[in-house]
Amino acid sequence: MRSDIVRLYKVVHTWTGIVTGLFLFVAFYAGAVTVFEQPLARWAEPPARTAPTAPEAAHELIIRTLATQPDARREFTLHLGGEDEIPARLTWQKSLDDRFPKGAALAPDGGVHVDRLHPTGLAQFVDDLHRTAGLPGDEHLGAALMGVVSAVYVVALVSGVIVLLPSLVKDLFALRLGANLKRLWLDAHNLVGLLSFPFHLVIAVTAVVFGLHEQIYDTLDVAVYEGRLREVMRADSPFTPIKRDQTPAAMLPPEDLVARIAALSPGFRPTTMHYRDPGTLGAAVRVWGTDDRYLMRGEGFVVMSPVTGDIVSTEYLPGHQGAYSVTVAALFALHFASFGGAPVKWGYLALGLAGAFLFYSGNLLWIESRRRTERRAGGPVTQSRSTRWMASLTVGVCLGSVAGVSVAIVASKWLSGWVADLDPWHRGLYYLVFLGSVAWAFRRGAARAGIDLLWLCAAATAAIPLTTVLAWAAPGLGLWAWRDTVGVDLTAVTMALGLAWMARVAARRAVAGPRDSVWSTQAVEAVG
Amino acid sequence: MAAIRQDWLSKSLAGAVLGLGLAFAVAGVFAWAAPDGPNKYQLAMWLVAPLWLAVASVCFLFRSGMRAWLWLGGANVVAYAVLHLCRHFAR
Repeated sequence: MRSDIVRLYKVVHTWTGIVTGLFLFVAFYAGAVTVFEQPLARWAEPPARTAPTAPEAAHELIIRTLATQPDARREFTLHLGGEDEIPARLTWQKSLDDRFPKGAALAPDGGVHVDRLHPTGLAQFVDDLHRTAGLPGDEHLGAALMGVVSAVYVVALVSGVIVLLPSLVKDLFALRLGANLKRLWLDAHNLVGLLSFPFHLVIAVTAVVFGLHEQIYDTLDVAVYEGRLREVMRADSPFTPIKRDQTPAAMLPPEDLVARIAALSPGFRPTTMHYRDPGTLGAAVRVWGTDDRYLMRGEGFVVMSPVTGDIVSTEYLPGHQGAYSVTVAALFALHFASFGGAPVKWGYLALGLAGAFLFYSGNLLWIESRRRTERRAGGPVTQSRSTRWMASLTVGVCLGSVAGVSVAIVASKWLSGWVADLDPWHRGLYYLVFLGSVAWAFRRGAARAGIDLLWLCAAATAAIPLTTVLAWAAPGLGLWAWRDTVGVDLTAVTMALGLAWMARVAARRAVAGPRDSVWSTQAVEAVG
Repeated sequence: MAAIRQDWLSKSLAGAVLGLGLAFAVAGVFAWAAPDGPNKYQLAMWLVAPLWLAVASVCFLFRSGMRAWLWLGGANVVAYAVLHLCRHFAR
């Protein structure tokens, strides 16, 4: 590799990296959390007020609900999981953005018992944070902006590898634990970056598509499809074979429908059944589920007629898709970790956190390479304003987002039952902690604020398992704890210990490290 | 070999703009020329971002901004001509 090319790409890497690094830190940290968003949401979810109906009685529940609840006749969802895992056996929403669905259970008097459900929305909050990096305002605009950020991030990745190529063999596994701390950070940045390069490349390219797919489709419609893209999409819709027909018709019991899918694909485990126009001749049911043997787009699904029991589309059923659908499903799966079960999910959590480290260390290297040293200047020096500014911003944004997520998780459980809608509280508390942390970092300087905020992160994260312990120890508080989400608590304990360790190391560096560093608390005094 | 000129602005713009144009044209050729199958339109959409960013990543290798614009502009002309032909014969 010619040295002028390497020099050129070093500049590309520096600028694309420094512009996107902080957005990507938030997106990666929240993204790592979303890998386990289901257990996390379950951790915060209060016990159901009414016992869900047993699966064997689902057919009876559907018949009684349709007879007595007119607003369930458009669409409803049947949940197939165990009674602990589901909000209710049968739920429906008034519209797609209705966040408080109704849930039905069989009542002893021959009717149904209907409850308004108040899901915490915690998973959705973390997911929104992941997709928009917390950019305020319109969520679609935030996601589109993150699509652009991800595009720049792809260029940062490729340029980073080009820079590393010439010294690859020499530098890759070198982790020089010497006196030169910057060298160590660079080695760690290179090692993590190169080893997880395939992961990052896949995440980055797919993130561009998820952020900008609407804009790309709109452009393709004009540039390629001559304005007929909607027609093409409609023709490919898995629901197209079923024509809408409002003539009343009896539906087969859900267990019959599930049995037909099992005959076709024994490895497919159904999770939910979403009915459209139920009780009519034109009824359709989309059966969602997973099959860990395949790369899936989140979950796969089958479309059936609940009236005839015919399977009308397997184009989204793992193992029964055409070549194009398989390719697209694989790209989804590689982003969402929706393959291979739990081991892959743990791997993605680790890679996501390592990614967050990559962006933090990248910013740190930018700061250190702009640092004025006493050695060169021959005496006490002050760092330039851009260096101090970037150090404060890095500390405030990174640690503020980590602390903010933990605070929102803990608040979700403590405020449950006290406030009707938790969503504004998740967001409000997150932004309060996040913006407060950034302000604190600028006020106190990166060195001091870094220590304070790491302790804040550790404390907020430790509050997750402490809440669980309190729920067990003091039932009078009205809290609750789930046996099956102990993994959430153990993960939080590990994270809190890690953050506390970092706080201690940062505190030691502040007094014992080089005085001319932005991470030193001594230099400030030395200069006054 | 002559040194590579930096030409940050012109190279970046060439990669971002002409790379995107090229990506749409190639995705369009796929949409018109590849064998039909369910969800082909989705894969066509998925092709755009990787092609765009591949060009945007390597465009700094051009010896100058001018060369980047000429080569990528030429590639766009060829790609859209092929797309036009595909449309013409696919009907």
